[in-house]
Amino acid sequence: MQSSTKGGALTRRQFVAAGATGSVAAVIGCKSGRQGNWEFLSDEQAGTLGAICDQIIPADGFPNATQVGVLNYIDKQLVRPYRRHQDAYRDGLQKSDASSRKRFGKGLAELALAQQLEAVTAISSEQPEFFELVRSHTFQGYYGSPRHGGNRDAVSWKMLGVPEPPVRGRAQYDLGKGPQS
Amino acid sequence: MTRYLKIAALAIAAMALLAVCGTFGASYYYTSQYGQGCASCHEMVNYVTVVHGSPHRTTNCMDCHEASLGTKLRHIRVHLFGTVPEAIRLRGKDVVAMVPGCKNCHQHEYASWHAGPHSATYQQILANPVQNTKQHLMNDCFRCHGMHFDGAIGEIVQPLNAQGPWRLMRPELADQPAIPCQACHQVHSQGAQEARPASRISVAGEPVENSLAFFDRRDRIHFTAASLAVPQLHDGAREVRMNQDPRQALCYQCHAPRNPEATTAAAENHWGSQVGSGDDRTPMGVHEGLSCISCHAGHNMNARASCKNCHPQMSNCGLDVEKMDTTYASGASKHNIHWVKCADCHQHGVPKMKTIQPVKAGL
Amino acid sequence: MKRVNAVIVGAGAAGGIVAKELAVAGLGVVLLERGKWYTANDCRKDDLRNQRTTFLGNAFGPEDEGNPRVWVDGDGGLHNVMPSEGPYQNNAACVGGGTFSYGAQAWRYMPQDFKMRSLYGAPEGSSLEDWPITYDDLEPFYEKAEYEIGISGDYSGTPYHGLRKRPLPMPPLPPGREFGVLGPAARRLGLHPIHIPMARNSVPYNGRGPCMRCRWCCGFACEVDAKNGSQNTVIPIALNTGNCELRTECMVKEILTDDRGRATGVSYFDENGHLQQQLADTVIVSGCATESARLLLNSKSRLFPNGLGNRYDQVGRNLQGHQYTGALGYFDFDTYDDIGPGADIAICDYNHGTPGLRGGGMLANEFIRLPIHTLDRLPNGTPTWGPAHKKAMRDWHRRTIVIIGPTQQIPSAEARITVDPSVKDKWGMPVVRIQGNCHPHTYEIGDVQAERAQKWLLEAGAIDTRLLSQAQNAEKATHVPDANKGGPHKPHSGLIPAAQHQAGTCRMGDDPKGSVVNKVCQVHDVDNVFVIDASVHVTNGGFNPALTIMAVAFYASNALVHNWKGTGFRS
Repeated sequence: MQSSTKGGALTRRQFVAAGATGSVAAVIGCKSGRQGNWEFLSDEQAGTLGAICDQIIPADGFPNATQVGVLNYIDKQLVRPYRRHQDAYRDGLQKSDASSRKRFGKGLAELALAQQLEAVTAISSEQPEFFELVRSHTFQGYYGSPRHGGNRDAVSWKMLGVPEPPVRGRAQYDLGKGPQS
Repeated sequence: MTRYLKIAALAIAAMALLAVCGTFGASYYYTSQYGQGCASCHEMVNYVTVVHGSPHRTTNCMDCHEASLGTKLRHIRVHLFGTVPEAIRLRGKDVVAMVPGCKNCHQHEYASWHAGPHSATYQQILANPVQNTKQHLMNDCFRCHGMHFDGAIGEIVQPLNAQGPWRLMRPELADQPAIPCQACHQVHSQGAQEARPASRISVAGEPVENSLAFFDRRDRIHFTAASLAVPQLHDGAREVRMNQDPRQALCYQCHAPRNPEATTAAAENHWGSQVGSGDDRTPMGVHEGLSCISCHAGHNMNARASCKNCHPQMSNCGLDVEKMDTTYASGASKHNIHWVKCADCHQHGVPKMKTIQPVKAGL
Repeated sequence: MKRVNAVIVGAGAAGGIVAKELAVAGLGVVLLERGKWYTANDCRKDDLRNQRTTFLGNAFGPEDEGNPRVWVDGDGGLHNVMPSEGPYQNNAACVGGGTFSYGAQAWRYMPQDFKMRSLYGAPEGSSLEDWPITYDDLEPFYEKAEYEIGISGDYSGTPYHGLRKRPLPMPPLPPGREFGVLGPAARRLGLHPIHIPMARNSVPYNGRGPCMRCRWCCGFACEVDAKNGSQNTVIPIALNTGNCELRTECMVKEILTDDRGRATGVSYFDENGHLQQQLADTVIVSGCATESARLLLNSKSRLFPNGLGNRYDQVGRNLQGHQYTGALGYFDFDTYDDIGPGADIAICDYNHGTPGLRGGGMLANEFIRLPIHTLDRLPNGTPTWGPAHKKAMRDWHRRTIVIIGPTQQIPSAEARITVDPSVKDKWGMPVVRIQGNCHPHTYEIGDVQAERAQKWLLEAGAIDTRLLSQAQNAEKATHVPDANKGGPHKPHSGLIPAAQHQAGTCRMGDDPKGSVVNKVCQVHDVDNVFVIDASVHVTNGGFNPALTIMAVAFYASNALVHNWKGTGFRS
């Protein structure tokens, strides 16, 4: 059951199996052709989005948004339930970056923190709908369940004094006790 | 007719050649590149990246992961049809199948675990008449055993009542461990290669072994021991002194106290969870403040031979603590080693220390 | 398929009970449910995807894909909405319906709630009416529901309830910290706080264990199966009789009628999308207020060109829910104890009897909150993002108490369900269109209730408070937090809060011109079609409606069984 392949020794079965799948994969090819570290975002978009998220939830002795995987959360959802927001993100991030370049001559991700705050404040008034979308999604990724790729190790819950998973004994009781209808 | 046969034969030969070359190449590639082969599918990149930062960085994926033809074809199907799940997770049977893989390298730990209570099987846990006549079989059982089982309680044991007789609906799991390695260990954890925890006696703030993590069935992810909470327990209204050893936070996930029961003083005064309630075994009395791991070895949970860590045989008092009347010496004792107090034996007060009188100066 | 005595559409709070009562009486029953049968194992405690917080969808149906509705806003604008969006007014789609994941407050309505028009008179523009039945008619069936479903709690601390013959079968769960803070304050104000009656085991009952007091309650399935819905009480009994067959993932298309105007059964799409027919002597519609109305309206035929039972254009009118208003109180000590279900104290002093107000509602503390629920529940003036917001989350998550309650809506005939002429669902059936709102007097009552909640919190020692009045709640569908769902919708007063508490669309009454069903839930026009669910509520009480839905289901089933004549129902 366990394949031990140290030293390149292969069993015949593994040999055939790996080869067959390899051939099939080679013939069909990769469908998506996606590059980079994200499912939807480009690395540049991720940089811009990360800067916005980290202004919405900055570090203050507790991690900021990107440190707990908020970008990971948003990126994953943008190819799942939030597919409907893909255009809003594409446009919004492009406009955000353009706004930053116009104001500071640099992309949002390259600015110093104080300038980022100014730039993000501008975005919140220039593109209120987009900003509201990012704000909501950032909060979901930071304060929501870790299973969706954000809130790593439930650090935000721990920050709020709400341990996750909670320490909780089983419901231990005698089945014979209690009223029965 | 012969023309078609020739073409067919050529085609078969070409495919055979392709298969042989492809087979050899692909197999070699996938099994000898520390995950580079797997990472050539973009879904896997992040997972492989994490392994490369873990103590298992020089382990090949297939040393632990099952890679039958069926599995590979399934992966290809998922990849091509774009139905990649939000997070790629092992199925219950994959986790069970990995245990022998762990054993291949961690033989000492495996043997220790196998000798201890945490290696209990599905049969022993879920079809146990003593347990099932007293406690209700329900999905919450899976929180602490069978946490990797893919299904509801009724799919593994029947009947779901207190009468029995109970039988496992999945006989192939009967001898499989209900608390496998992955219940407490995260294999893809960050850490230096071959890094091992050093000491057994714990103090607060001691670095935690990176792989220690609780598998949460609901989230289907691991929570690292460092991120888990050590609860604050109460003895009546008094806060019990809790050892903050982060490793024991893992123990508390299952060996947990209950919320105070209705009509008790603890419930009415909101004192919080009481020490010793439910499955809690937090030390009290003479042992208050110790961590679980101060006495219980990892893997086999054995507490034998741990007394002498603190009570050397040649101690000042000359008492042999291992022979005192506690549950350590005999399970029948009424003094539970977890919360034995001095006053349990010294009912009229602890005798005073014999002290030497001071000598007056000048004499 | 074999003809049966009764086909029931929808396995929710009411449908499950009707199935059980009929099957136990020996009738052959087919129970059709559009959703799946989930178990406690499917309860993954996902705070972004459940029936209360739906950022990533509904955990227990319906799916966002292929189940649209159309919402008509206050300016007449049409919006296609998905189930995870507030204006959809979703409840659930699964075996057990809403009772699989509800908060499980199990209140009896008060005697006054059944005669609102006689007590208060109908304000202009409203359709306020009396029920054709009284509290006394329902009392035995309330009791039956309390014992068969399993309710814990204690009414003894308040005079504000109808006559009871037996106490609840289970004592309340031990109170949490909020009860300790709010209880004495309520008594100082001369109020009568009680333990909320809950369809939740506090002790072992019906072969299942008690609540383990976890943090995930309202909107989630119960991990230890201690929350009592139709899926773990009456439906298993129905199936065990051998007389009832449950078919899941079956979406009913229409009620079939013959040329004499009697129903012959239903046609439905099975789990594979194939159209099937189930012939039956009786058809019982228990699909919830929006979907039951839709089914009747979609059942058009030569004799019923406007939909079955809709001769007088009554089907779909008088949609109601509950106006949730209240207040947030901020304390200088931890009020959060991490012990579920959180909601444990309520007052019924304000349901009736305030001069100038037509009714009122119960006020209770809110179900236990997860961090995601606190985001928009910070004190007035807190920035919506940045370091101050993050700090406020730390400061207040464990120090906030919410008192909130369902104000009884004054119904309006213009708040209604129709079927959309163009938008179709994945089966090709016209979808629900929701328009209109309840009578504006409801808002006046709601705002008074919010101030009362605030006063209670201040008495309990709150150092700061914030009103959750109707303006802020307009976007919400009862419980769903209003942290923006990313949709195009803006808060708008054109949105009626109905959702999980939806009711009223097939009103019960003696006059066929002003109602859809008679006092035993039988459609006026077609004697072998019944609507048994919250659709028949004439008014919706100032309480969570689940127990009343159940009591009405027992009451109507009782009438049906006792009038059953061998092979068919003849009134």
